[in-house]
Amino acid sequence: MNTNQTKQAANAAFKKQEEGSALMYRLFDEAGQYKDIVPLGRGDPDFDTPSHAIEAARQTMLHHADEYSPPEGILALREAIAQRVKAHNGIDIDPATEVCVTNGGVEAIRLMNLTALNKGDGLLFPEPNYNSYRDSLRFARGLLQPVLCESEDDFRIRPERMETAITERTRAMLLISPGNPNANVVSPEDMEAMLDIAIRYDLLILADDIYDTFIFDDFVHATAAALPGGKERTLTLNAVSKAYAMTGWRVGWVVGPADLMARFKQLKQALSGGSSIVKQHAALAALTGPQDSSHMMTEVLTKRRQLVLDALDEMGLPYGIPQGGQFLFADVSGTGMKDVDLAFKLLHEGHVLTIPGSCFGAPNENYIRIAFLTSQENLQEGMRRFKVVLDEVRGNG
Amino acid sequence: MFVDNRQNKRTVIFGFIRAEKTILRQISKLQIHGLSKEEVITRMAKSRTIDAILQRHVINDLLLAPALMPIGSSPKDLSADQPTMPLDPAIVDYVTERLQAGETHYVDVPGMPALRQVLAEHMQSAGLSGIEIANVLVTAGMQETRFLSIQTLGTLLGPVALPEVVHPGARKALGIRPLEATSPLPTDREAGFLPTIAGIRQALENGAKVLVLESPVRLTGAAYGAEAVAEIARLAVQHQAAVIWDQGMAPWVDGYRSIWHEPGMEEQAVVLGEAFPGIGLEPLYIGYVVSNPDWIKKISRDKQAISICTSTTDQLCATKAAELFPTLHEQQYQTLAPFHQQAVAALNGMTLAGDSVNVVAVGLSDIMAAPALRRSGFGFADGTDFGVRGVIRLSVTPDNAIADTLELLK
Repeated sequence: MNTNQTKQAANAAFKKQEEGSALMYRLFDEAGQYKDIVPLGRGDPDFDTPSHAIEAARQTMLHHADEYSPPEGILALREAIAQRVKAHNGIDIDPATEVCVTNGGVEAIRLMNLTALNKGDGLLFPEPNYNSYRDSLRFARGLLQPVLCESEDDFRIRPERMETAITERTRAMLLISPGNPNANVVSPEDMEAMLDIAIRYDLLILADDIYDTFIFDDFVHATAAALPGGKERTLTLNAVSKAYAMTGWRVGWVVGPADLMARFKQLKQALSGGSSIVKQHAALAALTGPQDSSHMMTEVLTKRRQLVLDALDEMGLPYGIPQGGQFLFADVSGTGMKDVDLAFKLLHEGHVLTIPGSCFGAPNENYIRIAFLTSQENLQEGMRRFKVVLDEVRGNG
Repeated sequence: MFVDNRQNKRTVIFGFIRAEKTILRQISKLQIHGLSKEEVITRMAKSRTIDAILQRHVINDLLLAPALMPIGSSPKDLSADQPTMPLDPAIVDYVTERLQAGETHYVDVPGMPALRQVLAEHMQSAGLSGIEIANVLVTAGMQETRFLSIQTLGTLLGPVALPEVVHPGARKALGIRPLEATSPLPTDREAGFLPTIAGIRQALENGAKVLVLESPVRLTGAAYGAEAVAEIARLAVQHQAAVIWDQGMAPWVDGYRSIWHEPGMEEQAVVLGEAFPGIGLEPLYIGYVVSNPDWIKKISRDKQAISICTSTTDQLCATKAAELFPTLHEQQYQTLAPFHQQAVAALNGMTLAGDSVNVVAVGLSDIMAAPALRRSGFGFADGTDFGVRGVIRLSVTPDNAIADTLELLK
């Protein structure tokens, strides 16, 4: 494929993605009319922010609300982040120069793309993938280079496919693990292979570990920046949103080598400047305080995941095994309905909110994303209604 | 534009030393992992990709526009462009209660409806008629506000015109993804660096489609009078250009005139500012954008793409602060006004034209006065960072801080 064809394909992919994002938000809007909606759509944990984080916010409002934060975030939070990534991911970070706090994970995504990519630079992009990455890549005027992952493979990102997709425009690869919406966890062996590719072709790695707290069964989470030769070329994102049920607080971070982080900080300064002192202290408390809530969430999500898998088995719907995260991607091609049509039917007839795979780019029209971020009772009810609608579609109703 | 590179050079030197120590640590780590010398060399080889990134960064003048020193970094800091105060306990109690009730999740992209509503009501009470919730977007502070408005409107409409003297954040917002820009709008020192009407007219005739204007000017507090505002609006309508109007310091100007009042500006103006300034929200970074609903939707789309939504906690603070703003702001204003007068009188002709009671801009005849002031522990906003040498901005505070600064300047 020559450069023009590549650009045309990328532009087409972007246009489809804009439609996909609009579709997702249309579903959220239309779901609002149903009081008995079962929300299996949005990635917003139904747990509470830890109480000690709320207390930290209160204390900050009372005693420190006249303190301003530098754009890279308060030092205490950066130190806590450095400890967290060391303990959890094995990444050695200097909090003075190699961390930047952001207004949530999505701002971190935008800044990572702007740091790493210039106009026309290619990003190896495993599909299916989270739409915010497309939005940010488009803003950076980068080139989307898709790498297909398949449900038969549990959406594994195959290193050989990544390597085959490399062109003279490629500058970076995107590794989200666990993935969204596909829930794949990049194995330690595959991560080594990816890093080897990155070194041989002199690529950067944009790593997203935001779901790294939630790893199921015997799967093992690995991160490129912890491997020999990885840190120098990897920007790694995380946030308190998922691990601590703090989606509304908007606190994330990126860690990386000092030279790239210096550029990252300049971009942060240009995009939003400093971040609220109150939410930073709340995030600090979440990271350094008792971790019971996070452990409890993992146990509960493990049970809910199994409930959904059992229900899908009963319905005869195949899926990629969710190895981590908070969603799964179910294959609905056997229903005879397109994903969008099925999602709207589920919404308006079953009052169940799911997200059609089309929202995550082509070629995902045969899938539906199901989140297990609502109570066990709600999940059971939601999957029951799903079956009712599916039986009707199949003529069994 | 003068740029003091001495701090940059020190940073580079210390960066090299730190980088060397990092490299030695990395080599020993690789060798511990059993890699051969050749493998170590391959892995440690300088990355051309990273070099290219860093070189590209160096040539982006707009993005590298000097940033203001962080507020609070000097022992006697008079650098803020908004006064502040401790948060009222009523705000703290309200927010804590809402957080404990579970309001810690994602909220609407353009902002919590309650906050958008009180912002719309506040605008209405300030004389900006016809503003409803659909005209209002909440942001994570002024810099995000600048970024969203400049990038969205610049992409949508065409060449952007910035004043030659402007908050460095405006340059950075333009430079983060460079858009087409015109020559800077000339400003009038005698008028507190307000862009001249002639310069605005020329820029529009030369094809500018987005004017970025501060009124009051962030460096001096100077604000356009009614005639000038009307003329700017007329020119913008004539040339079908948008006006991004930073009126964040407007609450500190008696008899302020917003461009929103002018015919046609409900369709072509984008009004920006900090939410309820001066009563303790400053370190929480909450801003607003007011414009026509179509542009608000477009800017919201970009807001969603960069941060999904603004922090719930900060929005709850601002929502409660709205109730207290009229009283607390009036108290602040009446407290600062006499100190502003005293400062202007004491500076005896050194001040530049300014209408905001929260700041004074001082012209320095000695170019070394500013560094000397900084070495003495005083924080101020340096005009160099805005695009002009020999001018500093001091916050007006209800104490002797400005008097102490003046002694040093004299």
